[in-house]
Amino acid sequence: MHWSRKLINRLLRYAIVVSTLLMLWKSLVLATNCSRPILVVLSSDGYSFYNLGDLFFVTNYPADPIRTGDVVVFRIEGRFIPIVHRVIRVHEREDGYVKFLTKGDGSQVDDRGLYPVGQLWLEREQIVGKVKGYLPYLGLFVILLSNLPLVDRLLSGVLA
Amino acid sequence: MSDTAAGVTTTDKPIKVNKWETNAVKNALDDACKKYFKETLNFAEDYKLMDGRLYISFIACLFSGYALIYDWLNPFPKSRSILILCVIAYFILMGILTFYMQFIERGKFYAGKLVDRAGVDPVSRCTVSSKLKKYDDKYQLTLDYNDGTDKTSKSLKKSIGNYFDENGVLCYDRFTADIRKMYDEARLNARKAK
Repeated sequence: MHWSRKLINRLLRYAIVVSTLLMLWKSLVLATNCSRPILVVLSSDGYSFYNLGDLFFVTNYPADPIRTGDVVVFRIEGRFIPIVHRVIRVHEREDGYVKFLTKGDGSQVDDRGLYPVGQLWLEREQIVGKVKGYLPYLGLFVILLSNLPLVDRLLSGVLA
Repeated sequence: MSDTAAGVTTTDKPIKVNKWETNAVKNALDDACKKYFKETLNFAEDYKLMDGRLYISFIACLFSGYALIYDWLNPFPKSRSILILCVIAYFILMGILTFYMQFIERGKFYAGKLVDRAGVDPVSRCTVSSKLKKYDDKYQLTLDYNDGTDKTSKSLKKSIGNYFDENGVLCYDRFTADIRKMYDEARLNARKAK
């Protein structure tokens, strides 16, 4: 058997394994309608809902309203890592336009300091999803892994 | 397909495998059979079966690669339709691949054809498949011989203890003697049927 055929055979076998995992992840993204359905908490402040190493399950169904008290995941332009905080105020207009104010459970002030300059409220598009459940401590493994630069780059490549 | 777990196979060095590892044993026997067909019986290996599998896998990987790149360039909500398309296409292709490996390939690790130098006889094809169940010692080798006009199928089922010594070294000659017997029987059978 020619060496190129052997090489292609081997490469494709690995590629299929990787592709299957990737496609399963993308199907989860599609099913939850959320770009990051599983999140690891990287930092925590004081007594909060979320602690270091928690694994969050996030969904983003449009029919699921976001109300005060819900914990949401949102992303600000310019920051790569999404933030997980609780919604403390919701303003709704008759035409359906909604805006939110969030605050971390452990912090004394609301998140306005985190929002971009000039922005006082969070838009619906900036919210990645609502936290539906969590598993404690499992994320610690991912955090340990992300200390390896190669794994870190791989993960950020897949998660965009 | 089969990678020799034990190392480089040369015509001189005998192959040594871990005799308790079923997969390594099966691969060693398959490789020896392939080698015999290639070197002694002068068959030319036909890669069509394997290539089919490689093509299907390649197309599946293209879909997943495209999904990855598109999603990277256009973050999630925008890439939704493309993602749906790629995921569905990928899983359909996986289904096709499983079907292909299960029913069309079916354990065939070698397909070869013998072109008669005199050009008198038509091309004869041989397809070999093998089965060795996990933790079982009965190795079943099936040879499908197609003479151009007739097809015969011969199989031999023997314990691997016949071909490996205590240290796990493959006794190439004993194995090929059995293959030769099977091959000659198949040819005779085909000629007789004519």
